Amino acid sequence: MTLAGLVLRNLSDGRLRLLAGALVLVAMALVARPFPFARHGVAILAIVDITGSMNVRDYVGADGMPASRLDTAKAALRDLVAGLPCGSQVALGLFTERRPFLLFTPIETCSGFAPIDGALAALDWRMAWEGDSRISAGLFRSLAMAEELGTDLVFITDGQEAPPLPSRGGPAFDGRPGAVRGLIVGAGAPSLSPIPRYDDRGRETGFYGAGDVQQENRFGPPPADAEHREGYNPRNAPFGAAAASGTEHLSSVREAYLRTLAGETGLTYAPLDGSTGLGAALMAAATPRPVPGRFDPRPVLGAAALLLLLATFLAPLLRTRGIPTWKKA
Amino acid sequence: MIDALARLSADRPALLWLLPLALLPLLTSAQRRVPVAAIAAVPADGPSRAIGVLVRGAGIVAIAGLILALAGPYRRGETLTRTGIGAQVSILIDRSGSMNETFAGRQPSGIEESKAAASRRLLAAFVGSRAHDQFAVTAFSTAPMLVVPMTDRHAAVRAAIAAIDRPGLDYTNIARGLAMGLSQFGPASPATSRALLLVSDGAAVIDPRVQDTLRAAFARLHPNLYWLFLRTKGSPSIADRPAGEDTPQAAPERHLDLFFKSLRTPYRAFEAEGAEAVAEAIAQIERLERDPIPYTEQRPRRDLAGFAYAASLVGLVVLVAAKLGEADLRRSGLPAAQSLAIASAPARRAA
Repeated sequence: MTLAGLVLRNLSDGRLRLLAGALVLVAMALVARPFPFARHGVAILAIVDITGSMNVRDYVGADGMPASRLDTAKAALRDLVAGLPCGSQVALGLFTERRPFLLFTPIETCSGFAPIDGALAALDWRMAWEGDSRISAGLFRSLAMAEELGTDLVFITDGQEAPPLPSRGGPAFDGRPGAVRGLIVGAGAPSLSPIPRYDDRGRETGFYGAGDVQQENRFGPPPADAEHREGYNPRNAPFGAAAASGTEHLSSVREAYLRTLAGETGLTYAPLDGSTGLGAALMAAATPRPVPGRFDPRPVLGAAALLLLLATFLAPLLRTRGIPTWKKA
Repeated sequence: MIDALARLSADRPALLWLLPLALLPLLTSAQRRVPVAAIAAVPADGPSRAIGVLVRGAGIVAIAGLILALAGPYRRGETLTRTGIGAQVSILIDRSGSMNETFAGRQPSGIEESKAAASRRLLAAFVGSRAHDQFAVTAFSTAPMLVVPMTDRHAAVRAAIAAIDRPGLDYTNIARGLAMGLSQFGPASPATSRALLLVSDGAAVIDPRVQDTLRAAFARLHPNLYWLFLRTKGSPSIADRPAGEDTPQAAPERHLDLFFKSLRTPYRAFEAEGAEAVAEAIAQIERLERDPIPYTEQRPRRDLAGFAYAASLVGLVVLVAAKLGEADLRRSGLPAAQSLAIASAPARRAA
């Protein structure tokens, strides 16, 4: 038998075919280069509420100690930014009083992670320039800011308006619902917790009491049920004679209110459950934006080659144990 | 050498647990099994043994190479510290409401540029003009706000500067702003040139109690201090003495200037009444801040999977060649020693 005849006969051998397949796959892996394809990234404007009620410690931190809503929100944002695909953009702003304050315009999250992380870590309630917390006004202006920047919005707040909304409700949204997509993130626990109080040097001095805050908004017309209140007089006591009482000095996440706001503005509501998990909610709610990604085909080719190679060597072992393979022994 | 080994790493190190699979060629073979009546009947043959060892070795190399390649081996990149020309610049920007007016003290209209927009345009050009400068951005109005910590990522710094012509806030609390601007320098080698660049269109009284704290911080960090005073037309200059009593409340600009001069730290004030003057001041600062600064450079990591694939390919070529050259004693009827390739199969049984 000639050498050519030998080779021809061997070509019909199943194991040779397996080996040859592995050879071709590895040769392809050797010359293959990663090829570009578009991934889904996001561009967001993150606005963090830094008003007093965000200091409420109703989360549990990583060390088991109580953690404030603001600290938890910062940790969650850090986790979110770290998990975004490269090429995503993040802008950061603060909210207090009735408007957002932009710290920086969008920064790419991979090359700019260190500055973003530093800016997040430095967020502090002491940056606030005024004490009010008019959530709806701040949210509407944040939406306008996000639209101008061309990003989606992540608005983290506990939803507690200070001063409380008047009986006729807050300002109406006059923008186009859904023009900006994104999340309203509700920070805080559903049960009431006391709000820490600080002196003018920034030291904690206790908690707010019932008499320290405005319990009812008495600007504008009185609510419809006012005439049933004790001591009601249309001219002299339109809100009744008794001092307003309530739980405005305590704080919980106002989920129903935030859901209403989300419905009005076309955003999605997501609760803040600890310092992780914002990423999935954001990816579902945000506008997908193509960012350049790379796909390396070599592991796929290499894994297939390895399987063929192992099959080649395992086949005789299996056959001697009576396990059927591709051909009879 | 040890250093080079220590820098080896893998993306998916768990896959390395599969490496014992590379010993499979010692247990079994891809060659056909040929029955031989008595292996002792064949004389010991050196080349046959060598081929047997070669084929087994090729099998081990092929499997091990693939497993190594799949684990994603690479040599870690390193961070090198080099010295370039540049400075650590802490930019402290006034975000009070008046920054959104023009140099003439009006709301900008048409082609007029507000003070904030002019400083935004000119500062953005300053950032990134030299590769090794590091910047930090702090904003202040009623309260100071850390915008971007000290970083060499100029794109991030420009993004922070791009935000400064948005509507400003209320007041000018310069003392707390200065304190935070100074805190941005952080630890660095004492040789590093530091500059604190204050951009404001007004001044405020610094509480005498805070003055001492600020003095101590300036003495410790010893930054070069630049005050870019964006003066509105008609408002008092830094040098103007007030007509009445000369108190900080009556002439805050003049007294802030006096305070800066008393710090015993290199200090220059630039009074700019228009965009050209701002540009000139920034160019001067750029010329003054020319000192060596240590900076880090990242050497990228090197992918080593290619070598593992190449090794695996060599092993596979040998295995395929051995399969192609296989012959059975019975069918060919040729003497075993006639061809090395033909001999390999029985020899491997014998081994």
